[in-house]
Amino acid sequence: MVALSMLALILPAGGALAAKPIILGCPLSTAFLYGWDAERGIKLAVEEINAAGGVKVGKEKRPLQVEVIDTRDLEAGVPVSEALLAVEKLILQKKANFIVGGPVRSEAALAAMALLSKHKMISILSTGVLTPKYHALVAKDYAKFKYLFRISGEVVWMLKGELIPALTAVGKKFNLDRLYIMVQDVAHARAVGKIMGDAMAKKGWKVVGNTVYPTGTTDFSMGLVKAKKENAQVLLITMDMPESAVLLKQWYDMKLPALPFGTILAAAEQPGFWKATEGKGQYTLASVVNAGNTPSNATPWTMKFVNAYQKKYGLEPEGYGTSSSYMAVYVLKDAIERAGSLNSDKVVAALEKTDMMGVYGRIRFDPKSHQIIPDIDPKKGAVGTIFQWQQGKRVVVFPPSIATGQILLPPWMKK
Amino acid sequence: MEIIIYGIVNSVTLALMALGFTLVYGVSRLPNFAHGALYVLTGYIAWQLLHSLGVPYFFSGVLALAAVGGVGALMYHFILERIRGMAISEIIASYAIGLAILEGLRWAGLKGGTFILKPFIEGSINLAGVSVDYQRILAVVLGAALVGFLWLFVNQTRLGLALKGMAQDERAAMTLGIDSDRMAVVAMTLGSICAGVAALVLLPLGSIIVESGYQVLVLAVAVCIVGGLGSWTGALLAAFVIGFAQILTVSYLGAHWQMVVALVAIILTLVLRPSGLFGKQKELEERV
Amino acid sequence: MAGHHEGMRKERLDRGIKVRSDGVYAVASWREMAFLVTPRLVLILGLLVLPLAFVQAPYWQKVLSIICIYSLLAIGFDFLAHFVGLVSLGGALYIGVGAYLAAILNTELGLPVWATIPLATVLGGAICTLLLWPCLPLRGVYFAIVSLMFPLLAARIIEALDIFGGTDGIIGVGGFPNVWVEQYLLVICLLLILFGLRRLVNEDVGLVFRGVKDNDQAVKASGINITTFKALGVFIAASLGCLGGAILAHIYNWAGISQFALDFSIIPIAATVVGGGGTLVGPVIGCLLLVPISELLRDFGTLRIAVYAIILMAFIVFKSEGLTSFGARKYNQTERWVEI
Repeated sequence: MVALSMLALILPAGGALAAKPIILGCPLSTAFLYGWDAERGIKLAVEEINAAGGVKVGKEKRPLQVEVIDTRDLEAGVPVSEALLAVEKLILQKKANFIVGGPVRSEAALAAMALLSKHKMISILSTGVLTPKYHALVAKDYAKFKYLFRISGEVVWMLKGELIPALTAVGKKFNLDRLYIMVQDVAHARAVGKIMGDAMAKKGWKVVGNTVYPTGTTDFSMGLVKAKKENAQVLLITMDMPESAVLLKQWYDMKLPALPFGTILAAAEQPGFWKATEGKGQYTLASVVNAGNTPSNATPWTMKFVNAYQKKYGLEPEGYGTSSSYMAVYVLKDAIERAGSLNSDKVVAALEKTDMMGVYGRIRFDPKSHQIIPDIDPKKGAVGTIFQWQQGKRVVVFPPSIATGQILLPPWMKK
Repeated sequence: MEIIIYGIVNSVTLALMALGFTLVYGVSRLPNFAHGALYVLTGYIAWQLLHSLGVPYFFSGVLALAAVGGVGALMYHFILERIRGMAISEIIASYAIGLAILEGLRWAGLKGGTFILKPFIEGSINLAGVSVDYQRILAVVLGAALVGFLWLFVNQTRLGLALKGMAQDERAAMTLGIDSDRMAVVAMTLGSICAGVAALVLLPLGSIIVESGYQVLVLAVAVCIVGGLGSWTGALLAAFVIGFAQILTVSYLGAHWQMVVALVAIILTLVLRPSGLFGKQKELEERV
Repeated sequence: MAGHHEGMRKERLDRGIKVRSDGVYAVASWREMAFLVTPRLVLILGLLVLPLAFVQAPYWQKVLSIICIYSLLAIGFDFLAHFVGLVSLGGALYIGVGAYLAAILNTELGLPVWATIPLATVLGGAICTLLLWPCLPLRGVYFAIVSLMFPLLAARIIEALDIFGGTDGIIGVGGFPNVWVEQYLLVICLLLILFGLRRLVNEDVGLVFRGVKDNDQAVKASGINITTFKALGVFIAASLGCLGGAILAHIYNWAGISQFALDFSIIPIAATVVGGGGTLVGPVIGCLLLVPISELLRDFGTLRIAVYAIILMAFIVFKSEGLTSFGARKYNQTERWVEI
């Protein structure tokens, strides 16, 4: 009885100290790069916002609170229903006001759409999922899915707007036109390989070969040897397995005269890649989807973000979901303040009117599909980043508006 | 030509993965489903010794092997010994141990793609127009050496002969004064070390990730079933059958059929000839 | 009582109402009646009340749904393993087939929920039985391993052929009208199946099942076709799994290849081990314990799988009879120390 009454005394007192926090639920597969990158980005943003006083809702300043939950959706052998249950836990038990981050795997994110809209829960997807199906579904059934946004890139724009122009430019500059495609044996990677091959063929390139590697392969030499025999000049690589680092090591050891050009190349994204390959990752190109995941000068905010991240975590931003997850929190804060409330429909309306300069350029959502509007100019839209490993650093080489260096060819490719 | 060379490399890789599993099963009829976890554990210990404590490469490998041998022995002595003979319980318990090790490692920080062991020898060689890493050739050599060593050990030493006796007839071995539990501990230690050797030879080819633990287990089980559980010759032969089948599938059918082929091989073998290619015929024990 | 019992042994005595064998009682008073009925009533009423109890905690209602789905699988596993003698490690196959069937029937043919669930249950059971038919003569470990391969294979084939939505799965499956329908459909199905199966295994046909498990040669010698009975057993277990899978698909409006995931094969087995195999009710109790524990541990990330595995290991090594058998013994028998 005494304890109870004491508790009753403490509770309101504790509540009066700080305004009720706004809870951000983050369903992420935290044991994987595309999970923990988002977790770190979100936590950094929340820390900064809270240090500056929190989010202004109407007249009240309220702090943000992060609830991360492990969805395990990137682990093999774990059903997606596990991730969905995690999302429900965030909504129902942790009383999340908004969902930011994942689920990370496309299958899980697509499956979660119905669940999120059932709860009228605003969600800003910011890592992992690249499938165009996500925002196509939002556009198709706007009334149902209008609570869902995606602030990170999607694969159609990445191909059309960035990778194909970048590859074309490389070809023109160095006079290369023989493409060899290497993809991991998963549906999305095979599709990327095919689309890229067809598109480059239209631009007058010759696709001289295509090798599909099973997930978990540690030997890439068969494809590399074939590429050498066919005089390939560019290797187009799409893989999200960590073993892809071995591919680059083998490529270096063979001194294969072809430039490794990664679309999604998970291993090469991490700053630790250089050490892991003992510098043999030199000259590898890869995309990190959005600017800010590598140092560059896309906007004044970019380096501020990279430095803050480095100060907090001791290394540069890692996976492609870092800067977008960080921005998701700021965009949400901005929308809540403009809406002056946490009401889902009001915040959706505010999010649709979002127009701010972020870490990776101007941030606006397409009003119909709620997909971030991309561009190659950071003043007009969200920019991507293709970088090349040079002397232990990730040097941004595309788009030209934010590039920090030039593409280099390995010495054994120079004639 | 490349099919032949890579077929051989792939087959020896599979054989290395399966050797420890078949050794333990052959001696003590214990399906050690923690095999894959021991494989990853060796790599992780070696990596930590090498990178966190700065132990030289060779010694960290030896220490990791010793540690994993110890883990295998303790695992048997304290846990699996109590449920000897109940096949399903053995599978579940050893799988649970493996799961605990693997997910424990993941929790301890084994994630991402930056855990990479250096190969013993860098570079590659051109064999009849096919480029092969030295490390892979080393794997083939070491695989053959390991098989030879185990063969000598089993056929030439007292301890080895005792193990063989156990494998052939446990009761008869016991009447001759062979302590069956001690022998099983020895087998388990050896089997764990085999998993460790495989890890040290094969992991430098890729990176140390938790998932490979599950993959190694599936492949080891596949090889052992197709070859006949507990049969050495069978396991070796099966490694070559599956190894070449995989390479052929990749070359002619597409990579995404690779796993399908392995799984279909297991199912067909079990349905048509449960004791595998070289298993002893025990029709009535296997099927009705 | 003193800590030392040297030179003594524990004597166990059945309580007076138990007559000769399990399940036959001589009841003489209301008190004895209550003694018998209480545990059963606690389970039935408990399960019926749980959805209501969680009105304030809707998340735990969801957990309860998952518990029921795992329970269905676990009962099927227990039935097959301890009454028919087939250890099936492939529970995920049943869930996957059930979920895909329900999803296809719903999205392609436009059938409503009340039609897809029974159809998926029966058709799914039949499909799984046909798939496993060639493996039925296998025994013990061989059947266990072959059954483990089927869900892996099914997932790979769907992925390789890119059918049924490929890796994205089928989305837009219809849902239940409200959470009460979902909850009570599951709870009532679970209770009916639990008590129905308990009745079944004590009928004549159950006797044959157990004969197949204990001595199949003897059953064969009596002129009974073992394979038919094994197939019947597999059909029953698979139907339970398919029912769970179909309901799962409707709860989350989705079916995908991850429904063939290993977790669906492992968790029911763990629940059976913890709850007590061969009791049919044990697996349900195991699920009621393990799934919430795993939810409580969720904040610890992957550590919870390790904890889970250790619990499983501890039970199988140190308390392999499981909680139900242990509890039943304590409940039905008195114990005392006697001099040797």
